Amino acid sequence: MTGPLADLRVIEVCDELGQYAGKVLADMGADVIKVESPEGSNARRIGPFVNDEPGPNRSLNFWYYNTNKRSVVLDLANSEADRDRFRRLVATADVLLEDQPPGTLTGWGLGPESLREADPALIVCSVTPFGQDGPWAHYRSSDLVALALGGPMQMNGYDPGDAPGAPPIRGHGDQGYHTACQFAVHGILAALLYRDRTGKGQYIDCSMHEALSCTVEVGMPYWLYTRQDVIRQTCRHASVQRTEPWLFQARDGRYLVLFGVGRDNESWAKLKKWFQESGFGLQFDEERFNNPLARQPGRGSPEAAEIMAEVAKFIAAHDAEYVYRGGQERDQAWGIVRSPDETLQDPHFWDRGHFVETTGEGIDHPVAMPGAPYIFSATPWELRRPAPKLGEHTAEVLAELSARPSRGDRNR
Amino acid sequence: MADLPLSGVRVCDLTWIIAGPTATRVLADFGAEVIRVEHAQAVDAIRLGRPIIGDTPTLNNSGFFNYFNRNKKSILLNVRHPMGFEVLKRLIAVSDVVVENFSSGVMKSWGLHYEQLREIRPDIIYCSLSGFGHTGRDSAYTTWGPTAQALCGLAFTSGLPGKPPAGWGYSFMDHTAGYTAASAIMMALYHRNRTGEGQHIDISQVEAGIVLNGPAVLDYTVNGRSWRREGMPPGNRAWEPAVAPHNTYPCRGDDRWIAIAVMNDAEWQALVRAMGEPDWATSPRFATNAGRLEHQDELDARIAEWTAPQEDYALMELLQAAGVRAGVAQKASDRRERDPQLAARDWWHVLPHPELGDCEYDGIVPKLSETPGALRAASPLLGQHTYEVMREVVGMSEDEFAEHQAAGVFM
Repeated sequence: MTGPLADLRVIEVCDELGQYAGKVLADMGADVIKVESPEGSNARRIGPFVNDEPGPNRSLNFWYYNTNKRSVVLDLANSEADRDRFRRLVATADVLLEDQPPGTLTGWGLGPESLREADPALIVCSVTPFGQDGPWAHYRSSDLVALALGGPMQMNGYDPGDAPGAPPIRGHGDQGYHTACQFAVHGILAALLYRDRTGKGQYIDCSMHEALSCTVEVGMPYWLYTRQDVIRQTCRHASVQRTEPWLFQARDGRYLVLFGVGRDNESWAKLKKWFQESGFGLQFDEERFNNPLARQPGRGSPEAAEIMAEVAKFIAAHDAEYVYRGGQERDQAWGIVRSPDETLQDPHFWDRGHFVETTGEGIDHPVAMPGAPYIFSATPWELRRPAPKLGEHTAEVLAELSARPSRGDRNR
Repeated sequence: MADLPLSGVRVCDLTWIIAGPTATRVLADFGAEVIRVEHAQAVDAIRLGRPIIGDTPTLNNSGFFNYFNRNKKSILLNVRHPMGFEVLKRLIAVSDVVVENFSSGVMKSWGLHYEQLREIRPDIIYCSLSGFGHTGRDSAYTTWGPTAQALCGLAFTSGLPGKPPAGWGYSFMDHTAGYTAASAIMMALYHRNRTGEGQHIDISQVEAGIVLNGPAVLDYTVNGRSWRREGMPPGNRAWEPAVAPHNTYPCRGDDRWIAIAVMNDAEWQALVRAMGEPDWATSPRFATNAGRLEHQDELDARIAEWTAPQEDYALMELLQAAGVRAGVAQKASDRRERDPQLAARDWWHVLPHPELGDCEYDGIVPKLSETPGALRAASPLLGQHTYEVMREVVGMSEDEFAEHQAAGVFM
């Protein structure tokens, strides 16, 4: 079986910002040809590296974000012959995906306008920090800077008691880049569906700043509709007023996130029984605890405060994994705070085939990494090949180029 | 109406809360006809979500709901009523996509798992979005955004070293699971265009989050290094690439901060020039990235001293003009009232809402040159489109509608 995008060819000119969009398409079957400069994509210089030894083929960042792609080296900045090869390559493709600063491709004589003129069915998607126009279009960014400007950071942080004077906090893992890429993929897929009906391609201008600005949930509607800004709180929703904690530390030092306690009377009964079996929450039998709304934090209810105090004692007396599973078995949507690698220890995700094995330079055995974000019944996600070595497919792709007609001729 | 990329695609939207409605928001923005199936007896809790505009909740005056449900239609349908259930099946029969984000098992209990949906509509695209997915030993477990963020590793990686996790101050994973579902649905539509074949897409919100920390997982499986170690997470300092300075620094005023990221020596030199080449900054200790990493505490303290008296936007302009990556940590008010970039790109829009009056919305990402998405309608009132959808989409006659209404189906 092959992915839903098996007939799609994408040319990717991306560094760290746009590479995830190319991965999403490649992992679902598209033939994504990554065009790299002779020095290789910037991501090849981002660690961690295999055994901490840098090298163009040893970046684990590159390994992860370039699965299923082919790598072709073309010196677009300096070689007219390579630019000509690039034009011919694009002519075989459905989509050009790029994340260079605005104007870069045009400066190379490879601007979206001229490429689209040559092939009106071509879809060109540019992912950039701020979009193609506007006063900040040429400003420089990074994942940190993007998360600051876009709003996520101002919502992440601490209650003053936990870390006095703490700044807004950036969640790690290049989540700004990811969010920009989610929208780039939406645009590309929407444009493909439009092209299916009309035969017409188009240009897609994807701004990371806009992608993040609309990805801060309650932050935006509070301002738009009540002109209030939310305040940061420790590991829970930012809000216009400070709310009760929902982060608790277990006996083994690990943390749990409790989003609600006994939201309905049935699950409350199960929870109460569990607590009381080990001597906690003996007062929960009192009638005042029977109202589900009064049990929920965030509303100033004294019962909720009393419950949360008892929950804190219960959790401090047990290990986190026990509390997490015990809570879930009793219909509580609680979570344990895991580091990214600790997800590997949870058998549920292995049951679902989530983790896949890859390989690369410097290791002699396959290693696990996250796989599919979705399970398609007919056209599943698939790891067909690990991330390419720099220029691994240059000869192969150029040989194909002389044999393969342009996309327009193919469709005719 | 303008031809939009998803014009002609009809979505039977059984979603609620945030994750599912985020997916259908994307589809609706690009022109899909999204029909929210709602129930007065089990109303979407977000219709009561704060901020509420006005003194009391009416189910139609939540700013939170309004923000996520523009461009959609709403019908009231009691699917527990046998006649209501039949109507739901008729709606599915004329829909391209069914999407839901119930706990796994709910659709099955309704008699609407994938095989049964296929009997109603053979090429249906069915997307289920649940906490743990529909398979696996813990599939009955449930999540909210914050739970999923804890489980997938995202909460852990946000925080200062030696402190509890700061996590995410909102349901980032509701957004991201929704975006993932929107992509998946469009991929399945693309495949259906080629083969006529529909399919089931099973999404676990936690898995949609695990994929967002791939390099950290590989650092463990390749190098044996876990993020659970001293000094991690590193706050706003860089993990990889390991560079310095890379942090947030205070500015003049209450809770004003600027993020500065220096990725190489050339950018460091640019920052030194922007700071006016103070003696401390020209010290050889800071000349290389390795030196800057080694003396990062001093470096951050010196830069903070320099930024603290300055106005944040002016400082951002100064640094950007010098070629330094820098940005104000903007709040929602800053983006709406001060951000020149969003304003210049026509980011803010107003649509009339029957109860809320003129409502503001943010725009649509990304911008498509030929078929840009469009803000066409504010969020629907509960059941606003029941009659229209029953008559025009489901194909009921006037009499049939009246009969169903009398039987209590539309509530």
